[in-house]
Amino acid sequence: MSRDVREIVREEQWMRPRILEALASGPLTVPEIAAAIGRPADEAMFWVMGMRKYGYLHELKEKTGDGYFRYETPAGSAS
Amino acid sequence: MDYDALVVGSGIGGMESALKLGDMGYRVLLIEKEASVGGKMVLLSKVFPTLDCASCISTPKMAAAVHHPNIEVLTYSEVEGIARDGDGGFRARVRQKPRFVDESLCTGCRDCESVCSVAVPDEFNDAMVSRRAAYIAFPQAVPQKALIERAGTSPCSFDCPAGIRAHGYVALIRSGEYEKAFQLVLETTPLVGSLGRACYAFCESACTRGDLEGSLPIRRLKRFVADRHYAAETPPAIEIPARNGKKVAVVGSGPAGLTAAWQLARRGYQVKILEAASEPGGMLRLTIPGYRLPVEVVEQDIANVTALGVEIETGTRVESPEALMQQGYDAVLLATGTPLSSSLGIPGESLNGALDALSFLRDMRLGEAPNLHGKRVAVIGGGDVAIDCVRTARRLGAKEATVAYRRGREEMPAHRHEVRDAEQEGARLELLVAPVEVLGDESGAVTGLRCIRMTLGEPDASGRRRPEPKPGSEFELGCDVVIAAVGMSADTASFAAQLQLNGDKTIAVDPQTMQTATPSVFAAGDVVSGPSDMASAVGRGRRAAAMIDRWLQGNELDGAGFDDGLAAVSKTEVLARQKTYARLEPAEPGVLLSAAPTDFAELEPPLSEEEARASAVRCLDCGVCSECQECVSACPADAIDLDMRGRELDVEVGAIVVSTGFKLFPADLKPQYGYGKFKNVITATQMERLLAPTRPYNTVLRPGDGRMPERIAYVMCTGSRDQTVGNPLCSKFCCMYSIKQNQLIMGVLPLAELTVHYIDVRAVGKGYDEFYAQASAMGADFVKGRVAEIRETDEGNLILRYEDVENGGAVAEAEYDLVVLAVGVQPNREILKLFPGGELAFDDFDYVDEVDEDLNPARTSIPGVYVAGSASGAKDIPESILHAGAAAAQAAAHLEAMRVSS
Repeated sequence: MSRDVREIVREEQWMRPRILEALASGPLTVPEIAAAIGRPADEAMFWVMGMRKYGYLHELKEKTGDGYFRYETPAGSAS
Repeated sequence: MDYDALVVGSGIGGMESALKLGDMGYRVLLIEKEASVGGKMVLLSKVFPTLDCASCISTPKMAAAVHHPNIEVLTYSEVEGIARDGDGGFRARVRQKPRFVDESLCTGCRDCESVCSVAVPDEFNDAMVSRRAAYIAFPQAVPQKALIERAGTSPCSFDCPAGIRAHGYVALIRSGEYEKAFQLVLETTPLVGSLGRACYAFCESACTRGDLEGSLPIRRLKRFVADRHYAAETPPAIEIPARNGKKVAVVGSGPAGLTAAWQLARRGYQVKILEAASEPGGMLRLTIPGYRLPVEVVEQDIANVTALGVEIETGTRVESPEALMQQGYDAVLLATGTPLSSSLGIPGESLNGALDALSFLRDMRLGEAPNLHGKRVAVIGGGDVAIDCVRTARRLGAKEATVAYRRGREEMPAHRHEVRDAEQEGARLELLVAPVEVLGDESGAVTGLRCIRMTLGEPDASGRRRPEPKPGSEFELGCDVVIAAVGMSADTASFAAQLQLNGDKTIAVDPQTMQTATPSVFAAGDVVSGPSDMASAVGRGRRAAAMIDRWLQGNELDGAGFDDGLAAVSKTEVLARQKTYARLEPAEPGVLLSAAPTDFAELEPPLSEEEARASAVRCLDCGVCSECQECVSACPADAIDLDMRGRELDVEVGAIVVSTGFKLFPADLKPQYGYGKFKNVITATQMERLLAPTRPYNTVLRPGDGRMPERIAYVMCTGSRDQTVGNPLCSKFCCMYSIKQNQLIMGVLPLAELTVHYIDVRAVGKGYDEFYAQASAMGADFVKGRVAEIRETDEGNLILRYEDVENGGAVAEAEYDLVVLAVGVQPNREILKLFPGGELAFDDFDYVDEVDEDLNPARTSIPGVYVAGSASGAKDIPESILHAGAAAAQAAAHLEAMRVSS
């Protein structure tokens, strides 16, 4: 059963370092990030998009063959 | 008359009416409940059928309304009620909510937002992404000013007697900002480590999460940040403020004295603490046993004070505050606590082995404890000090340690967990007994305690049932040591000649200012209140410091505010914000108790970092803003003002335009469509945001997994033309916005397949039918027939079961990646409260009734009150603008009629 959106969003700052750690080894899609942090993809979507909004990560221009974007940290794009 | 016209609501209709009236020369007050003018239109992607950018059309009107010389705009404000006056005009009460940001200073830089510690769903993006408690509504908001969402003070912070912003440091820990969390507590008191261990945690009793699976371990979180700070090899240096040339003497170095000294030193005072004991710390060092509060922690906390240049002189007993003044101090604070134990008042108290609780505990802390090995110890009393004594006695080797209390377990003032832990450590409770005499042998040594059984009668002044002796029930309790823990009192005899004392020997002060009858002498802590607790003493020390500062700066003390925060937010309101709550397990207490403890090692283990953050994330952000002060620190314009309060204003106006718009149908009221349950079922308003330039995602993606959808279905008339949800009305523009979205999606996702499940398409308007045909020609597939239900596959796809009218009425199923519910509109019932007198008429569906719609559009049942836009029924944007123009013309005619007749 889906959790309340307010509850998921509250965890964004808690999840941020885990997601950044997952992205340290390279760009990932939302399902890949979800798998890396062991949380459902729909919840990871909230955290990834919140982090995108506040500049912690951004998407690569090219999407994957199965229709996903990959996300990376600003440090990732600089390297 | 304050204004010619009041316009309620600043959507496209309200702005249009206000601008038209303003252009005609009328003075207009435009009220908007949100933080920005613009209503719903500015959040749309594009408008139909021209596909012009909605923001591009809206924002010039928004700016024009806000900057119009004849229009005053109050955003984040609500009209609470309107009544007619006797002259054809109206009186309106407007409540302007506090933004907690000074609009005249805010530059819209969003620095506050970037550091805010609280994330909440962004209602301006239909909850598809987060925003912060400190925020600017959306990128095109007018005014482009931040605000801080505050529902009240969080109960944990509100109930802290010390005034510590508990929610603030919890939120900072959740964000991983441990040192900032420490510094936030340090702003209130230097006793971060001590409170993190030995506070009785009023915050946790108030925690809303306690109404779910258990409160947060807020006290232990404080200990967590204190431990990290003190363990750092090079903790951040404490900034020493410039001295202001004034000197304050603080008498006593307990929680109140240390906190006051810290607060005064931070304000630039030269502070000296005078302590009668040989070591500083008061009850922290000399009363609380080490298993609850190690002395090293007390010393670390005290070092915060001395780091500011505060001098501590121990072994100095002050008997005359006046003498201190003569030594050159500008003010004196007496914070000497309650160092005297009350006596039992029974024979035998002078026998060898009859002790008082404070001396016993003090001797233990100073390494001078009596040898209790193999002895039987009886502690008289039922408070926390009695429990400290009995647990200490067990650690000192007592073979029997008994608490004798005259009331029952329920009436014991000691904290329940302390009593429970004492019993687990082998202490015994002898309840409903009172001491009659301490018995001794010929050598003068204690041999026992004569007691009498008690029974509970009616409640006394304390609310507890009064103990009454049972005649003939006396008995002897065998013991070698008797410890009296029946109360504590202030040691103020030497002050009696100079200060006014209360009957219980406490110092009489003004409770607001902490000032004694001698203006330069203040008093705080237990010497004023009588025995209390560490957090309460800290709070009084803070208050005293603030008042001493005011007094020494030559300011009036009468009416001086202190800790005047917002009222506590109600737990009911907090819990109503979510429909469901996942169970988030509280951290394990982890206290390892021994039935025969042998040392004073600390019992409670620290939280690990993982435990701390997992605990902090359970916080419900009751007050929304956590008061972490990060925005205050970050704002380059000093625009944050957490002391800002709302205001109410009464205005007289000649005419009113009601332009309060509509509400959207809550899609979860059609459970067969799975909104809120299936991750890839969204509403058309959410799709508007996904298509808008300021969208929450980087493009149109599935909320369930971030994949670009290839097959998208629209379900028309969700919540409109539907008797099952009580709304038989057509929402008028859903067909067109769905067609518009189809065209836009085909632009964003050229390969996507789009299917629209509809009843019939209503394309009534200039260019609308052509727009519909264009979408069809572009490839959108229109399927006539209702959708019966939606199911979700394991992959998050959606299977629609629908009726296909044009193919023989067969029931069919199709699978999609994403389903969009074209939700209908409902009346905005909030306007029912605008006219408490009930004169404003509504139609059968609660839209504002236009009493002469054919010949006098916008006219309502009240002369002088007009309706603009969708408040009187669903209208698209061009219709709303036309209608708003009519309302403005009607209002102008009314105003002219008033002018002519006056």
